[in-house]
Amino acid sequence: MEDQSFAEDFAEIMRDQDASGMSRRRILQSALAMGVAPLAASLGARGVLAADKPEVVVVNWGGLAVEVFQQAFADPYNAEGGNMVIDGSGPLNGKILTMVQANDVTWDICDAGVTTLADLGPKGALQPINYDIVDKSKVVDGMTYELGVANYFFSSVMAWDSDKVDGTPSPADFFDTKKYPGRRMIRKDSQAMLELALLADGVAPEDLYPLDVERAFAKFDSIRDDLLFWSSGSQSQSLLRDGECVMGFLWSTRANMLEKETAGRIKYTFDKGLLQPGLWVVPKNNPAGDEAFRAIASMQRPEEQVYVLEQMGNGPANPAAAEMVPEQLRSANPADPENRKVQATLNADWYIEHHRETYQAFLDRIVL
Amino acid sequence: MQRKYNPQLTYWLLVLPALLAMAVFYFYPVSRVLWMSVTIPEPGLGNFAQLANSHSINRMLWTTLRISLISTALTLILGYVVAYVITHAEDRRKRLLFMAVLASLWISVLVRAFAWFALLRSDGLINQMLMGLGITDTPLPMMWNEFSVLVGIVHAMLPLAILPLYSGMQSIDPRLVAAARGLGANRRGAFWRIFFPLTLPGVFGASILVFIYALGFYVTPALLGGGRKMMIAEYIKVQILEVVNWGAGSMLASVLLIFIVVTLAIVSRLVDLRKLFGAA
Repeated sequence: MEDQSFAEDFAEIMRDQDASGMSRRRILQSALAMGVAPLAASLGARGVLAADKPEVVVVNWGGLAVEVFQQAFADPYNAEGGNMVIDGSGPLNGKILTMVQANDVTWDICDAGVTTLADLGPKGALQPINYDIVDKSKVVDGMTYELGVANYFFSSVMAWDSDKVDGTPSPADFFDTKKYPGRRMIRKDSQAMLELALLADGVAPEDLYPLDVERAFAKFDSIRDDLLFWSSGSQSQSLLRDGECVMGFLWSTRANMLEKETAGRIKYTFDKGLLQPGLWVVPKNNPAGDEAFRAIASMQRPEEQVYVLEQMGNGPANPAAAEMVPEQLRSANPADPENRKVQATLNADWYIEHHRETYQAFLDRIVL
Repeated sequence: MQRKYNPQLTYWLLVLPALLAMAVFYFYPVSRVLWMSVTIPEPGLGNFAQLANSHSINRMLWTTLRISLISTALTLILGYVVAYVITHAEDRRKRLLFMAVLASLWISVLVRAFAWFALLRSDGLINQMLMGLGITDTPLPMMWNEFSVLVGIVHAMLPLAILPLYSGMQSIDPRLVAAARGLGANRRGAFWRIFFPLTLPGVFGASILVFIYALGFYVTPALLGGGRKMMIAEYIKVQILEVVNWGAGSMLASVLLIFIVVTLAIVSRLVDLRKLFGAA
């Protein structure tokens, strides 16, 4: 018993150091150097240590992401004695709020976005990120917020069906149904759609915020009869794949999958797209407590984030990952320096202030 | 001392477990929703004022009511014909027809919506056929509009109309129609003056059942309407889970509940509800 608790303690120190930048190989080396060989072995596999680390439940949006997060984030973390579980049930804002208000939180880390900060922050449903544990320097500048920290990047971009649209349309052509007749699709959400409309209308990326909501609405109003609305990523993919739309605003991850599966029939561009952060948020009174932040810190490792990029196209949030991205993946990386140049970047402060009424107005004016 | 057997008490004891389950798992949560609608974000009727002020809520309620009424009418007409055929079919064919009706009842609404998508979309089977035969040059817009939503809902609800209509028609004495014919009525006269009036209670019951179901449709309009034909169920979901405006969401849920209860109350004044829902 004595030995074991020493080993446990050592492991905990090592893990904390690991979170603050020490590589796994160095931990193993120092463990060996200190003559704690059994520990070195137990770091490599889930051993007795796993039992007393609290379980950390990471919730994402399901599908392929469950498997990829498991391999990228959970496996390395669990190999070091952690106990991370990936749950793909979809952390909708309303569900998080229900858990917090019912005082029955079962999730520790949720894969969320700025709208979560906007909708749940004021209701006190989120735990402030503990930046003593989570390393700010491992996140692209400006993407660390009080209640959420960037975990990956994705973009909203324009894609088109090259069978039905000749040449390379500009984002302005999205709103020109005379030049390119046919249906367009946008997300059933104001998020990013307003920005893309304004960028297409000639607003410079640096002048984007505060958003001219009225101008964006007028833009969509002008092609209202040709608009379809998607509500899930897979739906946006099928609408373009099946030829129901000639153009669409959708997530770059889906656009990239479309380009591959249609052998280039569907094309997309990052030009005048919008770069958005995917955020980790921690619900108030999460069961694992501070261990959630240690898990977030563990997921900041650049190689893990590059793996997610390889598998799903989500851009790494850790700037150190940029140079580790293989050459052939760079063009599809939303956060790649070349792609960032032609895109605007989402301003979370504007969302925290205005998202709720803008989304409702979008439903009132454009969708219904 | 012989204890007196009290049938009343026994019945109540038998009903009690179900009643308790309903109270805990149904009436309590529903009353919470009603309570939320007048307390979130602040006590008062502010949420209900949106019924008058909010453009999207108005449009959505109108869409819901219109789609529900039209789909109920279409379902009843189509269902009546099918029920009539089943009633008058010989045994073997009757079984086959029943299987067909029930099979469609057992297939998930989700699967059925995707099947309609495959049929109705611009490159879909129906448009390919029409264009292949040279009937039209351009694909007909059958998808992402009210037409596709109605097709989906009517299809999903047909079994719900056919079964009560059939049970009504079956209980009609076939000799009545024969007697009418014998007394000189032609086929049409015998149907409209004898058979049809006798099926009216079944028609009424099926309409109520179908209409109330239609009001709550969620998956079908969401998938076949292309996001434009939002009905009340989807709107409530958006308010509760996405916009996180629980006040508006619970208000609309309450409106739906009250509307249905009031409709049933009015109907119960006109006909015997117990008869409609199967009690003999």
